[in-house]
Order: sequence, then C-alpha cells, then structure tokens
Amino acid sequence: MTKSQEISTRLKGDVSVIDIRGEVTSQTGKPIEDAYHAVTAAGAKKILMVFASDCYINSGGIAILIGILSQSRKHAQRVRMSGLTAHFQKIFSMVGLTKYAEIHPSEDAALSTF
Amino acid sequence: MTPENKFEIHLPSTLGAEKAAMDFAAEIAKKMNFPADRVEDLKTAVAEACMNAIEHGNKLDASVKVGVSLTVDKGRLKVAVKDKGGRMKKPPRKPDIDSQIEGKTPPRGWGIFLIEELMDEVSFDSSAEGNVVTMIIHLDKKE
Repeated sequence: MTKSQEISTRLKGDVSVIDIRGEVTSQTGKPIEDAYHAVTAAGAKKILMVFASDCYINSGGIAILIGILSQSRKHAQRVRMSGLTAHFQKIFSMVGLTKYAEIHPSEDAALSTF
Repeated sequence: MTPENKFEIHLPSTLGAEKAAMDFAAEIAKKMNFPADRVEDLKTAVAEACMNAIEHGNKLDASVKVGVSLTVDKGRLKVAVKDKGGRMKKPPRKPDIDSQIEGKTPPRGWGIFLIEELMDEVSFDSSAEGNVVTMIIHLDKKE
C-alpha cells in the first residue's frame, strides 16, 4: 500500500466492507485487488466498496474496478459501492460500471439493499 | 491575446506527474468562476490527457517532458497537452464495458472516452514532432 492510499476491510453483518481512501489508479490498484481477494477467500458473497470523499480515481483505477467486478461475477458475488462524489458517480455511470455495481449515497443505504 | 492569458507547465514523463497539471488547471478554472462540477470534469480530462502523453506518447521516459499549455480566453479555457511520441492512432470509440466485464477484452482505454465526454471541444493532432490533445471548456456550455 502506498502512502497516498489506505485500504482496509471489515465485516458488517454478512457484508464484507472494503474501505478505500486516497488514490485509485493503476499504480495503487494492487492493495484494492488484494483486499478483494482476501474477502473472497473468506467466502464473501456480499461486498460493499466504500470510497472516501478524497478519492482520486483515474482510468487506470477504473480498469482495476472493472477487473474486480469481472471476477465478482465468476464468484457469484453482489457488489455495491458508496461514498463516491457526484463527479465519480457520473464518471462510473458514463463508463457503465453502474450496470454491474449499484452505487448508493451512503454506506447505510447500500447495506440496506443487500 | 495577451501573454498573461497563457500559462505553460512541463511535466516529467512519470505516472503521477499528471496531478500537477490537474491541480494547476483546476486553480485557473476556479479563478475563471467555473462551477465546481465543471472544475471536476476539467481535472479528470487534463489528468487523462497527461497520462496518455506520459505513458503512450513519451513511453514513461522521465527525461522527456509533457508540455501543458492553458489559454484563458473570453468565457473559455483551452488546454493543450503535447508529447513527443510517434503518431497517435485514431482515438478508439467507447470501450465495451460488457466485453471487459466478461474478460473478452482488457479493461483499458477509458481515458480518451472520458476526455471526449467531459470536455466541450476536443481535437487530436499528430505530427512528426509528437501529438497534441486540445481540450476546450466553456463557461456557458453544458451543465
């Protein structure tokens, strides 16, 4: 993990939460992938990715997220996202990520949809 | 145009350097009173153009600079990002998210798509000297 990024995981009921703070780019993607692989290895079927408001996400980071969503389908996992700023909600919608991961305004709102 | 309306910065071709151009462009846009959401659009577009120049144009050679010029004009901001790479291929159409999710194609190629979606005018020019992406954002266009 780089200094410009903090990734952690926690359980909220039967939902595995991945907290993401800082940069989401091709260079900083591995810790996010590692967190995803860790919760998957633990049997997660419901995953919530919580983005901090200071996240910097670029096209390289989008590629990382597409990769994770691709794997989540193979593992029959449901993935939700929350915490994204209005700008990145728009970006994710433009790209089409919202077809594969619902985006919710808050963690509680996302958790209530599983 | 007066010289005070034009700014230039030069970036080393290392990933991460694009953030300096992104922040610089944002500061100028804020001073021009662009709304916050359009400043965010600009930041993403400038960062993506610089990353393309760094990675694909200058091939991550830190000794080769990416030139970023910002021109403030009446009601608009023009940003040109220049690299010294070989001729750029024609920009691809929108990548296929479904194909990428299915693992049929690599999950890449979103930078140019985002630039075109977020900016009001975009042009791509290539010559023997390198490539230039020119982006224009208008104060009174798009919501």
